[in-house]
Amino acid sequence: MKLEVTELTKCYGKTRALDALSLAVESSRVLVLIGPSGGGKSTLLRVLGGLDVGDSGQVTINRQPILTDPNALQAYRRKNGFLFQQFNLFPHHTARRNIALPLEKVHGFSPAEAAAMTEQALARFSLLEHADKLPSQLSGGQQQRVGIARAVARPPEILFLDEPTSALDPEMTAEVLELIQELSEAGQDIILSTHEMGFARAVANQVAFVAAGKIEELSPPDELFGSPKSPLCQRFLSRVMRY
Amino acid sequence: MSRHHRIANAIVAIALVLGFSWLCTMVFALLGNQTDWSKAWNYRETLFRGWWMTLRISLMALVGSTFFGLLFMFGQRSPLVVVRWTCRAFLEFVRDTPLLVHLLFGYFVIFAPLFSRTLGDQGLDDKLIIGVLLLSVFEGAYLGEILRGGVESIPKTQWESARAVGFSPIQVYRYVIFPQALRRVLPAMAGLFVSLIKDSSLLNVIGVAEYFYNTKNFISRSYAGLEGYVPLALGYLILTLPVAWLSHWLEKRFRHET
Repeated sequence: MKLEVTELTKCYGKTRALDALSLAVESSRVLVLIGPSGGGKSTLLRVLGGLDVGDSGQVTINRQPILTDPNALQAYRRKNGFLFQQFNLFPHHTARRNIALPLEKVHGFSPAEAAAMTEQALARFSLLEHADKLPSQLSGGQQQRVGIARAVARPPEILFLDEPTSALDPEMTAEVLELIQELSEAGQDIILSTHEMGFARAVANQVAFVAAGKIEELSPPDELFGSPKSPLCQRFLSRVMRY
Repeated sequence: MSRHHRIANAIVAIALVLGFSWLCTMVFALLGNQTDWSKAWNYRETLFRGWWMTLRISLMALVGSTFFGLLFMFGQRSPLVVVRWTCRAFLEFVRDTPLLVHLLFGYFVIFAPLFSRTLGDQGLDDKLIIGVLLLSVFEGAYLGEILRGGVESIPKTQWESARAVGFSPIQVYRYVIFPQALRRVLPAMAGLFVSLIKDSSLLNVIGVAEYFYNTKNFISRSYAGLEGYVPLALGYLILTLPVAWLSHWLEKRFRHET
């Protein structure tokens, strides 16, 4: 994917979540956002994913500018996938229905087609045995995997993941991260934010360090983790890598 | 239950039964020889017609109040401030004034002068239609608040997820928010519908020939007492108890589910 963000600003009340943020990525399959909490990672992802609109600035993804008109944004969300930290699934539907419902109602597939695609997605992520459980009967890791299965059941142009493992214990984290890695190896374009530095290093083509509403540094993972240039990034990494 | 509790329980139960029997005996002793159930039997057709009318009013107002409830709920969630405030003010007014006043004022001052003749010319019962409309608005105001509470109780992440999978604003409500919100508010809604059935008796003030109205006429014509009031209470219970049971059943069922 090719991504260009220019002078993007977004305020919530008096807090400047994004402060004239600019970012240019020529071609990258997996872009990982790291940085301190409250630094603007989530806000940036939300704007990139079409869930929020910047106050000013421009975003262009694969040469297409993201428009601010609600209908255009909805169309944009329809061709991409987005996963939050947790509670992505609709609790009144089974895992299977959670995946099939958007296929039918958003993408216009017939119930039979949607059922077939759902079956395929469930099988792909080894979720068939959980297909008919409600979200409350699934573990956090399983819920996230169903969430991802839903997001990619109809292959999205870009998959956005906002700290997909932050609410999970280490074992579940591993099972979700493995799945994300599989997706990236299968050629899926992904933009994700995470606090898992080892994972970021392993899966990313480009890593962006986001702090105080700006991109402090953007480099390939080996460079950014090996020899960070920005002092902020150095300090952040030395602190999170210590333990 | 401990032994002391069991004994106390038994004593209170006996006391209550004795008290109630004493009250009944006194009442029947006073009225005993005047109570003549054949009076009610003679008026059975009028009474049944009234009861049937109450059932019809209740069903129509149930549909009507659902419509107004949704309208008020969406009105209060409108992006336009003017709409929100108008809705808020109207709801506050409706909820803080008696239904009796709405019926009298709404019928005699507002709607009857405007529509009675038109409705009458088309062979429609203007009192019934206007009465149901006013009752629907009144109960709809409460329902609107119940629905708003339900919709607002759905966590923000559900709205976000629904948007993220690409649902349109209408689909967000239809497939994600309403199914969850309704589960939460169904018991409260059933309780409101019980009130609606009982409140329909007030339509007698504008002359709708419903159950209370017909019973009242029967009582004043035949000097009946118990013969009128007992069937009156029973008639309403037949309508309200199923709804109340439904409400308790729903409450229990959804408590276990969440």
